[in-house]
Amino acid sequence: MSLRRRVLGELGTVYDPELDEPITALGFVGSCEVSADGDVSVRLRLPTPQCAPNFAFLMASDASAAIQRVPGVRRVRVELEDHYTGREINAAVARGDGFAATFPGETRAELDELRVLFQRKALVAREGRLLGSVPDPASARLRDLTGPDAARCRSLRLALGIDASDDAPAFVRGDGAPVRADELVRFRRVAGLTALSLDTNGGMCRDLLRARYAETEQEELVV
Amino acid sequence: MYEKDGRQYFVFDSHLHFWDASPANWVPGHEEYAKGWIECFHAYQSLGPPETHWALEKFQKYSMDDFEKDVFVDGGVDVGVFQPTYLKQWYTNGFNDIEHNAELLERFPGKLIVNGRFDPREGQAGLEQLEADNEKYDLKGVKLYTAEWFNGSRGWKLTDDDARPFFDKCAELGIKNIHVHKGPTIWPLDKDSFDVSDVDHVATDYNGELNFIVEHVGLPRIEDFCFMATQEPNVYAGLAVVIGGLMHARPNFFAKVMGELLFWVGEDKMLFGSDYAIWEPKWQVEGFLNWEMPDLPEYGDYPRLDDDGKRKILGLNGAKLYDVEVPEALRPAAAEAEAASPESAVGVE
Repeated sequence: MSLRRRVLGELGTVYDPELDEPITALGFVGSCEVSADGDVSVRLRLPTPQCAPNFAFLMASDASAAIQRVPGVRRVRVELEDHYTGREINAAVARGDGFAATFPGETRAELDELRVLFQRKALVAREGRLLGSVPDPASARLRDLTGPDAARCRSLRLALGIDASDDAPAFVRGDGAPVRADELVRFRRVAGLTALSLDTNGGMCRDLLRARYAETEQEELVV
Repeated sequence: MYEKDGRQYFVFDSHLHFWDASPANWVPGHEEYAKGWIECFHAYQSLGPPETHWALEKFQKYSMDDFEKDVFVDGGVDVGVFQPTYLKQWYTNGFNDIEHNAELLERFPGKLIVNGRFDPREGQAGLEQLEADNEKYDLKGVKLYTAEWFNGSRGWKLTDDDARPFFDKCAELGIKNIHVHKGPTIWPLDKDSFDVSDVDHVATDYNGELNFIVEHVGLPRIEDFCFMATQEPNVYAGLAVVIGGLMHARPNFFAKVMGELLFWVGEDKMLFGSDYAIWEPKWQVEGFLNWEMPDLPEYGDYPRLDDDGKRKILGLNGAKLYDVEVPEALRPAAAEAEAASPESAVGVE
């Protein structure tokens, strides 16, 4: 497998923290160039020039970290294009700075709390899509869940420090507490709404990205 | 008034703009922001039907004649509210400030309401300006744009201490409708930009005095908005972007979002807003009247919206908030009697 393919594969593990989808699937990776010496240059593009800087920063810095993990990569350059805070973010990612150092005086903290908040939302949303796959969700175990949503649930649980073993309860609230039988009606409603919110947002982002760049070069990128 | 199939509907458009984003109005040195902003809006327009798309040049600056035709003649809007967006950091004369919007008042008497705005970071001067604007325009509402830049700060929150005197002033002056846009960048930048928890707090504090209309229903945080609005009697859903951005582009999501809003917020607290000139009202009004919740199992849990419900959302709810009188014939009771049929007598439960 070529280095470029491995780099793209690794970029597929970088999720939009807000939408819980890989940035490659969303079309956010505008270009990916790999030199013979292993220097990688990736350009990220977002649906609007005004997309939230916090999420934009997370994606750019996560992308940079992901590429650095690929054996054979020498230098990494990740650039966010056409964004109103692109200059600050690109410089910070190149330096390896955190978010607070990127926007001195404009933030109170790093983005860990924000990331966790959205991981909890994402987990609940994924669980919402799986509720119908088992006969009795309140007594189901994690091993009973299968498919990509289930795999993502496990990753999110691990990231959140929630038990992700086979015997763990299949459905937990965002805070990690198992969903009890008497909570199921409400949980189903809440999870469904959370999933809808993510899906709707993702749909709108795709529509806006398509309008902005008026092209579909994704096939070319992945080949 | 919008007429469809022999029925007449009162249309209260709670979200209109009359902006100037032409290059002549860009602040030197900040052109990229001014340009990016309007191009971002223009991209949103592409989510509507293709025949309603405008060229960028017209979209940057349109005329009073365009406004009249699109909003009143074709759109059938009876009364509309201008929601100002200043953005003077990027636009020399503002994007659409109250004075610019007010230029249309004389030409269309009784058809337009201008809302004001305030920014707590302006302190005493801002408070005095709010009073002056109220004196001049007898304000019934303000539009708050918390993502606006000011002296190096890139936004604020409704719960900031210095916002309180402004809400007190609004309550005192009878400026009772607080429209809140949850914008893309709220300071501090590390927080969730669309967080609606600040609305939750002030809505509780000012219940009975002020109404809070969350524009764009907190999209993309519909779930946070719904959980909050269901508990706060004075929080309303502004449907700008929901109808314009989803009804045509993503009809299945539109149906589900409407279903959730009907379930959590209810048809008495949802307000139509076209967000003109992002989208023209006509196709939105027409499409909304034609719209029905799909008769499929995955939509089975959602409440249905009947003709009376559409009347409320399209006009009556907004008219009520702004004390606008609706002609007798356009109220639901009259319409009901007129269109009475055996079906309509069957309970929906």
